[in-house]
Amino acid sequence: MSIFYLLVFPGFLFLSALGLFMEYFDRKVYARMQNRVGPPWYQPLADIIKLVSKETIIPYDTNKKMFAALPVIALAAATTAIFYIPIWSSHALFSFTGDIIVVLYLLTIPTLTFFLAGWNSNSLFAGIGAVRNLTQLFSYEVPLYMGLLAPAFLASSWSLSEISQFYTTHPLLILLNIPAFIVCIIAVQGKLERVPFDIPDAETEIVAGSFTEYSGRYFAIFRMALDTELVVAATLLAAVFIPVFVANPFISFLIYLAKVFVIIFILAIFRSVMARIRMEQMVKFCWRYLAPLALAQIIINILIKGVLPL
Amino acid sequence: MSLDQKIINWARRKSPWIVHFNAGACNGCDIEVIDALTPRFDLERFGIMQKGTPRHGDILVVTGAVTMQTRDRLIRTYEQMPEPKFVVAIGACACTGGVFDGCYCVCGGVNEIIPVDAYIPGCAARPEAIIDAVVKLLSTIK
Repeated sequence: MSIFYLLVFPGFLFLSALGLFMEYFDRKVYARMQNRVGPPWYQPLADIIKLVSKETIIPYDTNKKMFAALPVIALAAATTAIFYIPIWSSHALFSFTGDIIVVLYLLTIPTLTFFLAGWNSNSLFAGIGAVRNLTQLFSYEVPLYMGLLAPAFLASSWSLSEISQFYTTHPLLILLNIPAFIVCIIAVQGKLERVPFDIPDAETEIVAGSFTEYSGRYFAIFRMALDTELVVAATLLAAVFIPVFVANPFISFLIYLAKVFVIIFILAIFRSVMARIRMEQMVKFCWRYLAPLALAQIIINILIKGVLPL
Repeated sequence: MSLDQKIINWARRKSPWIVHFNAGACNGCDIEVIDALTPRFDLERFGIMQKGTPRHGDILVVTGAVTMQTRDRLIRTYEQMPEPKFVVAIGACACTGGVFDGCYCVCGGVNEIIPVDAYIPGCAARPEAIIDAVVKLLSTIK
């Protein structure tokens, strides 16, 4: 049964299919916002198949095993994180106290592999992209953690399943967490390296960032990892901030798909209305506005916890 | 032809990523290439995307007559692209050398340096011609 969970549902196959479809949805919304037709629905799948069937070049002076292993590690980490997040009911497949931290760390691993991939590529562009990856990690990671821990403080639990159950029984308290939701949406945009935070792979400055030397199937796996991370991050936000579950698991699953669509739609709108900012602007923005906002949310939640009899 | 080869050919037809290389053009053809990528023509309908690095590219789009300065860079860019790869020469200068043919610093058209799959004449080539040529090139993948 664990193999089924891992490989088929809600693991690798389901996440890949949903991730590819969400990439299409994201690109389509982006295209419609620019008043053009946009790609057909099979476009991400065609991209992946084409990349897999192309020649794979490994640069001469890299560590070849590491070069090949990094994309797989990124994909595996992003896929594993889904098991601790509630999807079709307020109970996740596996849960224990503190799994919210595990999920956040699992979602950090792809960024670290992007850094290592760029650093290992021995290319100037990839090296600059790798350093920017890490700098960006230090700016969005703290607001994201604080923003996701604020609802956990209110629910007095660090397990995602228990947080979802708490908010299912106290639905009005969801409204309290709206500032944290905004912080998390912006931070996730930085985590997924999308406009306005696509500084690590700014194609007009440093060609493709960390992925400059990646080609063929390794690049395809990296793209799959990014798509999977997009879906998992949207699932995480949906589970913590929009915990709407009904008793019927099938209808609950449809509600889950709708929630993911809404969150990715917000992310796509962000991507299409903004332009890229500079690195120091991003660090300044994250530490000067996002982190204090998340901190204020935590303080408010602690105070309300003292006032309300929960 | 086996089924997997059919699927691979379908994917290659549907997802051509281009790399743009200016080998010494007057910028006229470059602007037409950028034109073809803008929302007005919307090449993403066909899955065409511009990539910065030759490692991700399928089609090398070369504009301009090849000068002695860019000759080595053109060869290096071409060799960095993974197989299968295609080259499209855009504009009269890229096809034959154009008015610059025989100049002391010009090596000639692109086909004297690297193999070319499609030629698009014109000074400068129109975006419609570029799109037509790319679609015709893709239909040869069978």
